Amino acid sequence: MLDSIRPKKSTIYLYLLIPVALFIFTVFMPLVAALFYSFFEWKSGPVKTFNGITNYKLLFADTTFWASFGHNLYLVLACIIGQIGIAFVLVLFANSRLAKCQTIHRTFGFFPSTISAVCIGMIWTMIYHNKYGILNWFIINVLGRPDLAQVWLNDSAHVMLYVSIPLIWQYIGYYMVIMFSAIAGIDKSIFESAEIDGANGFQTAIHITLPLIRNTMLVCLTLCIAGNMKAFDNIYTMTRGGPGTASMVMAMYGYKVSFEQTNLGYGSTISVAIFVLSLAVIGGSQALVKRATRGLEA
Amino acid sequence: MKKVISLVLALAVLAMSAVAFASTPVAATELEYKGDLVLMHFSTSEESEGNGGSDGFRTTIAAWKEAHPDINLTENVLANAEYKTQVATLAAADNLPDVFLLQGMNTIAWANQGLVMDMTDIISASPYYADYNTAYFTPFTTPDGKIYGLPVLTGGTCTIVIYDKAMWAEKGYDAFPSTWAEVEEAAEKFSADGIDTIAFGNGGQWQLNSDFVSTLGNRYTGPEWFASLIANTGAKFTDEAFVKCLTETQRLFKDTKIFNADFNAVTNEDAREYFISGDAAAFIGGNWDWSYITAVLKESNEEKYNNMGIAVLPQPADADKYPNSQNIGLGYAMAINPKVAEDPAKLAAAIDLCYELTGPAFSSYVAENYALGGLTNAGDVDLSKFDQQTQDFYNWSYVDTDTCEIYDSYLDSAIWSVLNTEMQAMLNGEIDPETVAADTQAKYDEIYNS
Repeated sequence: MLDSIRPKKSTIYLYLLIPVALFIFTVFMPLVAALFYSFFEWKSGPVKTFNGITNYKLLFADTTFWASFGHNLYLVLACIIGQIGIAFVLVLFANSRLAKCQTIHRTFGFFPSTISAVCIGMIWTMIYHNKYGILNWFIINVLGRPDLAQVWLNDSAHVMLYVSIPLIWQYIGYYMVIMFSAIAGIDKSIFESAEIDGANGFQTAIHITLPLIRNTMLVCLTLCIAGNMKAFDNIYTMTRGGPGTASMVMAMYGYKVSFEQTNLGYGSTISVAIFVLSLAVIGGSQALVKRATRGLEA
Repeated sequence: MKKVISLVLALAVLAMSAVAFASTPVAATELEYKGDLVLMHFSTSEESEGNGGSDGFRTTIAAWKEAHPDINLTENVLANAEYKTQVATLAAADNLPDVFLLQGMNTIAWANQGLVMDMTDIISASPYYADYNTAYFTPFTTPDGKIYGLPVLTGGTCTIVIYDKAMWAEKGYDAFPSTWAEVEEAAEKFSADGIDTIAFGNGGQWQLNSDFVSTLGNRYTGPEWFASLIANTGAKFTDEAFVKCLTETQRLFKDTKIFNADFNAVTNEDAREYFISGDAAAFIGGNWDWSYITAVLKESNEEKYNNMGIAVLPQPADADKYPNSQNIGLGYAMAINPKVAEDPAKLAAAIDLCYELTGPAFSSYVAENYALGGLTNAGDVDLSKFDQQTQDFYNWSYVDTDTCEIYDSYLDSAIWSVLNTEMQAMLNGEIDPETVAADTQAKYDEIYNS
């Protein structure tokens, strides 16, 4: 019966052909092209001169690039804790028997992730605004502490934290939806047994929920790292990497090198580096998580 | 009744259209070419509202199209920031449009790569050559003397102080102070009232260069230093005079109460709103900001509009050159893709378009409607029909002040990217002026001396 409704292999390949061709054209080809151009000196024009690994040597010595990589790692850490961590806690609350209006929680939680990052950046730029922003207004008029009001986005020491907050806020709901569906797949009787055995909410979350949705959490982790290693749009809108290079991230630096400095060869090298470093961070973090949770899985 | 309303509405729309599409006569040169011609520029319809240069440019294009109905002129119009990215990408792909706007800083690099046509002979052969202000050609001229574009749009200042005369009079100043020392004194009085003395926005990082340091630098170095930098004949960013300029810039922003605290976090668009709303007693920006502020105040606050004054940047105590200077110029030029020359008839059409968009049709339109000047001298401008603000701005821009170069109209953009980025951190005191100068010079050497 199954064989009778199963499409022919040729039909499957034909259907796959279009998305695979699109993928190759939009993802694979640019990556290969970037790798190719990274071996050239290519500045503001069609003339390209092969310069071997000069761009890579430059990259290894480029302190701005490595500082940007550090900022990406900061973003990744902040967002793993902020996005996945808070989402997990909120999902547990929303799934609790005491929680009301669960559908509303899901809808409103997910809503910010549907807004474009540029709009989010503009909204938060207004929130942080020195003169007209709600944050300073609250500090001055509600808390009565004008000494704490400041130009948030000009504070080099903490600007990475301030640009991370909008990102965290935007994607909490996104991860909540993924976790909701994972938790929905767990047999309810397991939670009931735990409750009868006297497990409290924290113990249930750590020893039952988390191990059972481990693979989903790994997917969340991968999405979170991949998303933040290529962070660009909200930082471009809020600070353009400033003040100076205090909030510069790799993609922003690649953009500046490629289009502001019209150095497309070196810009391609940065793109390749973003790809390689992202793979390394994703691979490394997955290995770490698998190792750390090996006992839980058993 | 409905018919009457419809008729009235139709007439109103017609009347509005007549106003919106005011025309300017272009020379109806006989052109053999019949076909497509692509022009890429950044005079969007939004930009043209209140901006005389953009309005004049668009109006002249419309007139040229009307004079040459057999030529299908396709316009690729982008906002300025997007234009810069797009045109750089097209240049890298060797896929530039037939006619485009060349930025001064790209001239040498693009000329070396054969991306722009050498227009030296074309310019000499122009029917309007005698009326050209040839000083405007400098950013588009390579060291061997070849010219690669016809400077376009209007010659506008990039550094102008706009202030509220009433607010300054209240603090005891009849005119805007001519020295920073006096501005510092005034800042004590304004800050006591919770008012910023001068609003400035460097959130985009380019503003401090274009709207401040480019003029302040001239006060320390004089024009010879920058001319030497362009020609690569010995001047360095690390020269003492330029470092002194950076040091003074850092002091003014970091150690005094003159500027709004968020100067590094807001753009010039935000900062000029501080002036308009009365949160700041003055503002420093470019001619585009002056156009915007006058347009807004004229509509919303006539009293403040009439109280507007303009001034040059005050002189630092340790600077001894050109206290009355401001940086002015034409940052873009009409350029032609050399591939157009494959079809001589098409090339003739492209050249005619360039002549007309920079010629008397454009110049007389912007002179008569906005009291602005372009590449071609439009003769004596009758200022009597303009209000006092426009007359003052015209005289200030073209008659009463000394002029100096706009730094980022020249040299490779990578140099300015380094300088602009580091200066933003310098204003916060995170990096010293000597390091900024050294890093900028290192980029300069990498590009021109390696």
